Amino acid sequence: MSRTRRMIEELRTELGEQSPLPDPVAPVAPIEPPPVRVNPRAPLKDARFAAQAAEHTTALVGVGRVGTRYATEVVLQFQAELAVAHGAVGAVLPDDWAEQQGLVFLSTRVASHREFLLRPDLGRRLHPESATRWEAECAKDIDIQPILADGLSAVACMGAGPELLAHFIGQCEGRGLRVGTPVVSRFSRVWLQDEIGQIARAKVACILLGERPGLGTGDGLSAYMVYDPKVGRTDGERNMISNIHARGIVPADAAERLARLAGGMLDQKTSGVDLDLSKIPGLGGAGGTALREPQVRKRLVSIP
Amino acid sequence: MKLSATIRGSTYTFADLREVLAKANPPKSGDDLAGLSASDPVERVAARAVLSEISLAQLRENPVVPYEIDEITRLVEDDLDEQAFRAVKHLSVAEFRQWLLDDRTSGEAMRSVAAGLTPEMASAVCKLMSNLDLMVVGAKAQVVVRANTTLGLPGRFSSRLQPNHPTDSVEGILLSTREGLSYGCGDAVIGVNPATDTPESTAEILSALDDLMKRNGVPTQHCVLSHVTVQMKALDLGCPMDLMFQSLAGSEKANDAFGISVALMDEAYEKMRAKGTAKGPNCMYFETGQGSALSSDAHHDADQLTMEARCYGFARRYKPFLVNTVVGFIGPEYLEDGPQITRAALEDHFMGKLLGLPMGCDACFTYHARMSQDELESLKVLLGAAGCTYLMSMPVGDDIMLNYQSTSYHDVPSVRGLLGKRPTPEFDAWLSSVGIMDGDKPGERFGDVRVLR
Repeated sequence: MSRTRRMIEELRTELGEQSPLPDPVAPVAPIEPPPVRVNPRAPLKDARFAAQAAEHTTALVGVGRVGTRYATEVVLQFQAELAVAHGAVGAVLPDDWAEQQGLVFLSTRVASHREFLLRPDLGRRLHPESATRWEAECAKDIDIQPILADGLSAVACMGAGPELLAHFIGQCEGRGLRVGTPVVSRFSRVWLQDEIGQIARAKVACILLGERPGLGTGDGLSAYMVYDPKVGRTDGERNMISNIHARGIVPADAAERLARLAGGMLDQKTSGVDLDLSKIPGLGGAGGTALREPQVRKRLVSIP
Repeated sequence: MKLSATIRGSTYTFADLREVLAKANPPKSGDDLAGLSASDPVERVAARAVLSEISLAQLRENPVVPYEIDEITRLVEDDLDEQAFRAVKHLSVAEFRQWLLDDRTSGEAMRSVAAGLTPEMASAVCKLMSNLDLMVVGAKAQVVVRANTTLGLPGRFSSRLQPNHPTDSVEGILLSTREGLSYGCGDAVIGVNPATDTPESTAEILSALDDLMKRNGVPTQHCVLSHVTVQMKALDLGCPMDLMFQSLAGSEKANDAFGISVALMDEAYEKMRAKGTAKGPNCMYFETGQGSALSSDAHHDADQLTMEARCYGFARRYKPFLVNTVVGFIGPEYLEDGPQITRAALEDHFMGKLLGLPMGCDACFTYHARMSQDELESLKVLLGAAGCTYLMSMPVGDDIMLNYQSTSYHDVPSVRGLLGKRPTPEFDAWLSSVGIMDGDKPGERFGDVRVLR
């Protein structure tokens, strides 16, 4: 017998011939569904914690546990919220959407959705054909150039976008401002407003675009505004309002604040860090200083 | 210095070491965006072949940003431990990799050369390592630090509790904190990213966390992650502050975009040493992340991995208690998908540990990156196995203020259970004393927020 074989034989003897685990006990009694350890659902003090929590935060506290993991219902709720966010990011503006809205449609230098995510530089510039067409079709020497764009959520753009755009144009016209040709652009980043506004020789450019979605959301819009738009402007030269959606700043309110902000830029002939926001009444925190209010969570999955 | 290699009859020649380092890097969308990547996988291997024969001394002599124009390069060069450097300078990058992997090379031996290594050396050897190589060496590294508690001991795995709130509601922050503690999270730090960057709100949040920790006898440390200048003013207001935070970048220009410099950080560090409330000796907390230099056009045509390593060269000057890479937060234009984010997390952990830092990781993704929840959960286990000092933790991994997905209160005890790891000894004892844990098992009060007052 070889050394190896002898070693194996010895080990076998030592371990015995039994299988490593005993046979399962049979028959198994019907298993009671284990309680989900959702502590806030317990009576008295715990119920108070749940109520307190909902009053002060939208963080997903008090979801309980099974072992160290989530209950099945929590997993499904989470996956539904994740699907909403991913759906918003993955959506693409359809070719005919702008036409349906009666708006001019422009493209950036981005060729695909993947390229849009990977190449912010290409999403900041118009495709040469779009630039030529815009040059030919746009109203020039205007006060304000409104732009609606997809940004990181085409869902938000197609959702509250047209309403926000219409309110904003109405507010600007009501203040006697000359408003340029409204336009929609696909695969767009914020800085695209510089080139579009520059071609239209606008004093102010305003781009309304989909925000990066959070868990369970994807319908939020942000608005960025810049005075004297020109390719090469930086973030410090812009002002913004975020969180524009039904549960945050509603489109009508956002439009009014934006029109006031545009008026302030025209008065002061500047924007961004140089703009004195204290001299512009009624902004309600426009200019990027307003905190984002907690968003109430919608229950996306219901299990009876 | 030989800058060319021949693979199957084709010769690849590179202009300088910076190009070799960039082209040797595994695929990263940020290097593509910067126009620095290898044009194909063969050129990438050729760059690695060239890199493998470069000596550590040559890497020191050729920093990716010149000494004359960058204070981070100057800081690294001027502070380098010459004695430690002499021990390794003759090694090629290939030999250095093999020395690290050699089972006779102990964590203690690695620790003894750390102060003689430059960031470029860490970045170079990282590029010759596979993911499992990075984990094997990372797990061997020894970095132990102390503030109120002791972090980084063998067999320990810690977490930052991150109870952020979109409007800084103190009640909201405390509710989330209590729940996190009841899951055994928060032994590295209870750290809040504030929505408002003012000294008053920083002081208010710190005071509230301090009360909660004292009331419940929780042995950990607190931090509010406002800008360092804001925290300095908060200290002047007389608030408690166990750890001082700042985001760091790998070049002078990129740090300028963050509103900091070496001089400012020196001043902040001195102030914290005088006024900070943790017992110490370590009192600083830094965050980094691949791609931050490029995002402010301050990368000097160097790849994002090397720029990341240079953050660690900056960080180690202040003997921090915590450093972590916020790996998936920056977005898909720098790290495109699950494999790239996973790779970057393991790289950053490895390089940080190699350079002597208590490295943690915010394993995370934004919702526009192509990483699945399953990939993210896997990464947490990989990091735990690689000896990562700590991860983040928040309710269901959802940061309601910063809108991204990270580690959850449930994930931390799950990974600890899988890997047989425990929190810091001080926190571990507290958890058992209040019934949240029963030794290494969840205790009677695990997940029960009522344990905390």
